[in-house]
Amino acid sequence: MEEFDQVDILLVEDNPMDAELTMRGLRDQKLANQITWVKDGEEALDYVFRRGAYANRTDGGPRLILLDLKMPRVGGIEVTKAIKGDERTRRIPIVIMTSSQEENDIIDSYNLGANSYIVKPLDFGSLAEVARQAGFYWLAINRVAT
Amino acid sequence: MPSPNACSAYPTGDRMSPIGSSIHRKLLVVVLATAAFALLFTGTIMAVYDMRNFRDSSVTDLAAQADIIGLAATPALEFEDPQAAQAYLEALRGKPTIIGAAIYTAKGTRFATYIAAGHDAIEFPRIPELDGHAFGGGELGLFKRIVSDNEILGTVYLKARLDIVGRLLDRLKVLGVVMAMALAVAVMIARRMQRKVTHPILEIAGVARNVMEKRDFSSRANKVTDDEIGTLVDAFNGMLAEIDRVIGERKRAEGALQDSESRLLELNAELEQRVESRTAQLAAANKDLEGFSYSVSHDLRAPIRAIGGFSSLLAEDHAAELSDEAKRKLAIISGEAVRMGQLIDDLLALSRLGRKAIEPTELDMVAIVRSVYERLNHADPGHAVDFRLGSMPRAHGDRNLFEQVWMNLLSNAIKFSARKEQPVIEVGGITAENEYVYFVRDNGAGFDERYQAKLFGVFQRLHRLDEFPGTGVGLALVHRIVTRHGGRIWADGKPDQGATFHFSLPRELSDGGI
Repeated sequence: MEEFDQVDILLVEDNPMDAELTMRGLRDQKLANQITWVKDGEEALDYVFRRGAYANRTDGGPRLILLDLKMPRVGGIEVTKAIKGDERTRRIPIVIMTSSQEENDIIDSYNLGANSYIVKPLDFGSLAEVARQAGFYWLAINRVAT
Repeated sequence: MPSPNACSAYPTGDRMSPIGSSIHRKLLVVVLATAAFALLFTGTIMAVYDMRNFRDSSVTDLAAQADIIGLAATPALEFEDPQAAQAYLEALRGKPTIIGAAIYTAKGTRFATYIAAGHDAIEFPRIPELDGHAFGGGELGLFKRIVSDNEILGTVYLKARLDIVGRLLDRLKVLGVVMAMALAVAVMIARRMQRKVTHPILEIAGVARNVMEKRDFSSRANKVTDDEIGTLVDAFNGMLAEIDRVIGERKRAEGALQDSESRLLELNAELEQRVESRTAQLAAANKDLEGFSYSVSHDLRAPIRAIGGFSSLLAEDHAAELSDEAKRKLAIISGEAVRMGQLIDDLLALSRLGRKAIEPTELDMVAIVRSVYERLNHADPGHAVDFRLGSMPRAHGDRNLFEQVWMNLLSNAIKFSARKEQPVIEVGGITAENEYVYFVRDNGAGFDERYQAKLFGVFQRLHRLDEFPGTGVGLALVHRIVTRHGGRIWADGKPDQGATFHFSLPRELSDGGI
């Protein structure tokens, strides 16, 4: 039943209101079954690499990471660097969520291997578009399944 | 500071002596030549005069002697007594200059003769001649008739030796002695005079050497006389004064030049430092501004997102509990949150534009306008706009930025003409002398030309929000993009009669404009 336990989306967002709105949007659009929300980059890395509080987690995934850029302690750029720099995790698609189209952030993220980016507030039409372009077909499958 | 080289290039003390001795010699030669010439001239004149005098007096003396002999010999002739005549002639032995004498009878025969000792070879004329004399061979021959009671009794002939050469030599000896004495005196005088002449000259030379060796143009030669040398000293001193003045001026000018040069260097260094510090300040300010923009875009937008988002959630999730009035107010909150987000986006776009480098490519304006208009029309297909797209020249510029320009101009035209029954929007362009000029014309709300200056300012709006929505940034952005490409932008219009926005781009895109 691993299929069921699988985390579809890891949401990395320090702002609880943004997180709530994002998760609400994702659910409204029926884009994912299971969303895990972590509050900063450190927690995100612990989750992905099964360290610290997440050392014993048994579920798989995630299949997609929605990553905020500006976070305390460990920022989105560093998270991208760590995940894309590790052989085990580098195939996990990362979609950067930015507050604006500030150029440097976008260029940096792409240089590090981010797959796409969307500008907040999440326009879910555009997220669907990003998902389509990035080849996240499973999103569409899950959408039908749920 | 004369170098050893410079020293050897100028005459030193040793070399001065030829100049002194040369003047000395010249002066001496002049004095001696003058004196010698004067003496010779005088001596020659005197000698010539003396010779002539000598000859004249010799003739007179000899004639007188002949008269005396003639007188004494008259009785002897009358009595035809040659012995007596001979005896008279013998008396001539007391006159050593007379070397021969003869008495002729009236008939012309020689009556008596006398020959001085040692002159045996003397020849007497065969016949007497008329009274007269003749010089020849250093000798003087003289005939004198003997006349008594108007009867010619005979003729006396005397021959004298004239020692003209001896006498001339005597005179020359005297002349020589006199000349020697005179020249000796002249030399003494010349020596004394020459000191007076050469001493000031040598002094001038000394001053000149001093000036050359020590470069001391303040020294002066002493003026001791008022003659030509005095004038020379004056002229020399005048020249030194002039050189001194000129050199002084040059030194002052050089000093001033050096001062201004060093001042210039100082200023330059100061300026460079100022530029450096200003650049650093500017870079810091730019960095601050970037940080500020970043903060604005991230931190300022988070609460706006929350306001907008939760207003929507409220309206969605609690629709049943809300009155229509509450829903209306919630809608206003949502809308204003969206507008605030838009304002921030526009401001950030404007700020980004200042930092972003322009990447010029060839711009097919017609294609750009068509695609932009289609996007706009797609987003808001409600209006049936009569869109007239004319031909337009291609230009060079940043494609993304000019999409932005057309986007803003066209959306403005659509927005302001939307209330017309038949909105008309015309777009076109021409090629002018040095630039391309493009325009967007609408038949919409237009504007009051009095406020034209405010059109392109940030947050400047010429219409109330309830008339036409907008942030007041769009045209400022357009203005900035066009001017960064070296172009101009202007507009004309009248209230309710539409507006035309023109912008130009240089045909040659200069790097300086970017």
